[in-house]
Amino acid sequence: MNPALLILGAKLRMAWHEIASVRKQSKLKVAVITVFAGGIWLAAYGCFHEGFEWLIRFGGEAQSDPLKVGYIIMARMLAVLGLAVFFMLVFSNVLVAFSTLYRSREVPFLLQAPISFRAFFIARFWECVGFSSWALAYLGSPLILAYGRSSGASPVFYIAAVAFFLPFIIVPACVGCMITMILARAFPQQRVRVMIGLGVVAVGLLFLYIRDVLDATRLSQDVALAAVMDATSRTQTPFLPSYWATRGILAAAERNFRECAFQFLLLLSNALMCVWLTAEMAQRIFYRGFSFLAGQDRTRFKRLDQGVLGRADSLLCWLPNPARALVVKDIKLFWRDPTQWSQFVIFFGILAVYVANLHGVGNSRYTSDMWRSWIACLNIGSCTLVLATLTSRFVFPLVSLEGRRFWILGLAPFTFRRLVWQKFWLSVCTTSLFTVGLAALSGRMLHIPALHFWLSIYSVVVANFGLAGLAVGLGTLYPNFQEDNPARIVSGMGGTLNFLLSVGYVVLIVGAQTVILQWHVLERFTTPQAFWRTLGIAVLSITLVSLVTSLLPLYLGLRNLSDMEF
Amino acid sequence: MIETERLTKKFGDNLAVDSLSLKVAEGEFFCFLGPNGAGKTTTIKMLTGLLHPTAGRAILGGYDIQKDPVAAKRIVGYIPDAPFLYEKLTGREFMRFVAGLYQLSGDGVVERTETLLDLFGIDDVGDQLIEDYSHGMRQKLSFAACFLHDPRIVIVDEPWVGLDPKNIRFVKDFLRARTREGLTVFMSTHTLSIAEEVADQIGIIHNGRLLHVGTVPEIRAMAKSPGTLEDVFLEMTKEEGE
Repeated sequence: MNPALLILGAKLRMAWHEIASVRKQSKLKVAVITVFAGGIWLAAYGCFHEGFEWLIRFGGEAQSDPLKVGYIIMARMLAVLGLAVFFMLVFSNVLVAFSTLYRSREVPFLLQAPISFRAFFIARFWECVGFSSWALAYLGSPLILAYGRSSGASPVFYIAAVAFFLPFIIVPACVGCMITMILARAFPQQRVRVMIGLGVVAVGLLFLYIRDVLDATRLSQDVALAAVMDATSRTQTPFLPSYWATRGILAAAERNFRECAFQFLLLLSNALMCVWLTAEMAQRIFYRGFSFLAGQDRTRFKRLDQGVLGRADSLLCWLPNPARALVVKDIKLFWRDPTQWSQFVIFFGILAVYVANLHGVGNSRYTSDMWRSWIACLNIGSCTLVLATLTSRFVFPLVSLEGRRFWILGLAPFTFRRLVWQKFWLSVCTTSLFTVGLAALSGRMLHIPALHFWLSIYSVVVANFGLAGLAVGLGTLYPNFQEDNPARIVSGMGGTLNFLLSVGYVVLIVGAQTVILQWHVLERFTTPQAFWRTLGIAVLSITLVSLVTSLLPLYLGLRNLSDMEF
Repeated sequence: MIETERLTKKFGDNLAVDSLSLKVAEGEFFCFLGPNGAGKTTTIKMLTGLLHPTAGRAILGGYDIQKDPVAAKRIVGYIPDAPFLYEKLTGREFMRFVAGLYQLSGDGVVERTETLLDLFGIDDVGDQLIEDYSHGMRQKLSFAACFLHDPRIVIVDEPWVGLDPKNIRFVKDFLRARTREGLTVFMSTHTLSIAEEVADQIGIIHNGRLLHVGTVPEIRAMAKSPGTLEDVFLEMTKEEGE
């Protein structure tokens, strides 16, 4: 039997065992995750559908207009999205390929087997494709469905969307794997500083490009449509797979089957060519890169009391032990793990784009109270969602990351209560630093009214406690001690549940104040006293909800940890 | 110093440890022998509080590990067979971390850390990340960290994995010397020759039941014909039909 198929068969059996193990999981957990995942899918569909409908209305008499302005914008936005997704998939595959091809524990076992590097690569490649692309299938499907429904596409459109999906995700996966193999081959010979410098330049250029496109597409300008079309035209090129995919799918929507078939075959042939090319590259350079990485001098000295990390213990001398020991350990492990800090840096790069874009919104002509109130509420939503992302990605895995080292903590003379509270306070202190700062900065840049400003600060402060308690509590309730990769811990059932509940909590607390503030602007309250009374009740309710969101998961998590065996 | 009373552990319907009762006196070197799956590691994990017993109790230095875990853990040190450590910390940072967990402070800790790193021969790699350590170096670091808080009881699970002959000899002599100073050692091992050499008392467990406890001569005397500890062990743990 083909060795690649044999390995893939074993992987599929493992995946099946994993799925079958859901039966042994808590029924409540499975039900909550299913309901929330379905809810998010439906909500995404609703948002996309409403957005597309709005664009059609924005275009005027769409059905009778031969130019169909709304449709043109919709198609162009889909194309821009396809391009963005393509580059995101390339980036995601670079990261996934490194851990799958070089760092996974299975790699030495597979490499000592009598199989070619080509077969090894093909087997591992499909794992990269699956890991990097499942989220696209989940969030892309409501978008495609909404587009099809809004544009009245033919049934062939949906079949085409499914058919185009696989070759579309294969191409960036191949490109990502190629980049990883080249980097692994070249990296050990390059100085780390040179590589970091190149990375910073690449991210900087991308940042400038995104900002340029965002500036050009700002709809508050007089020539909005022309600006949008001009800016987005820069993202269109017939040499990119995203172009072939979107052109093909859109052709199917317009019943232009000849164009659709041409674009599909073009994409498919390129995808197959890419797989062949990457497999040949793997046959030739993978092993050299692998042995370079495995054989390099890995002696790294980190002297105590040198550098900021080395002095962390002295800097935090005001904290009593064992809390200080745990905090210092968590900080050091975080900053010495490239998979952690690199995602942290990317996250803040995206935030920088957001903040840079606020400047234009704040200075624009949104003078009506209603719009200013909307912008302020959306900003609170953004800040708290940023916080939810931070806690879901970086705080939830904290307890799981103790992993197979839990015997060290289990043997130490302190109760798990102290451990859980240490994680909670570490989260509150670090995330508050960023998110309260972001709320204040964005509030100032948007020139939002004082009431909205202080309400946003209050909301973010309270949410820091609520979301930290939720993430630490659920991280303790559903830990994964077998996994050392935080990204995989987060993508598990517990991590998904935490993210969904975090989003639910944000929607609840932001939604409550948004409704009250909008009613106030629309003068629905009969007296100012009625407004202040309602707002006071809302603030109190938000505090109570946050307390419950924080303390209940912490209590349940702690109880679970105390009952746990290692 | 270590006392178990009808200590029992069930995993579902599987009885891993069955009413284990034994006593290990202060300053005694106790070796716990048994074939794979006999219940040695489960017993050790119950002694250290990492597993909850289904029934019975374990008393360490007068403290019940389930009822008074913090007090019991203050006087216990544990060395697992597979020492998973924090890969992204250096050896010295790990020692400092452990000192923090046990709330040890002052110059004495630094001095003691250096002494232990030197004693176990890893002072020269103390500033390297643990992920670069070999299995033997990790094992030595576990030993060093275990003795940082000067425990009165040390529980060791198959400590010889990954150690070279020189280090095996060193660890053996070190533990033996410490028992003469009053340390109580509870060690699980498959290496019968070492158990024969260092043990004051030997316990043989099979299928979750403690078969015999005694000194090496007493255990040997149980054999049908004169032989080594290995002969006796194989005879005692023989399955039906073997």
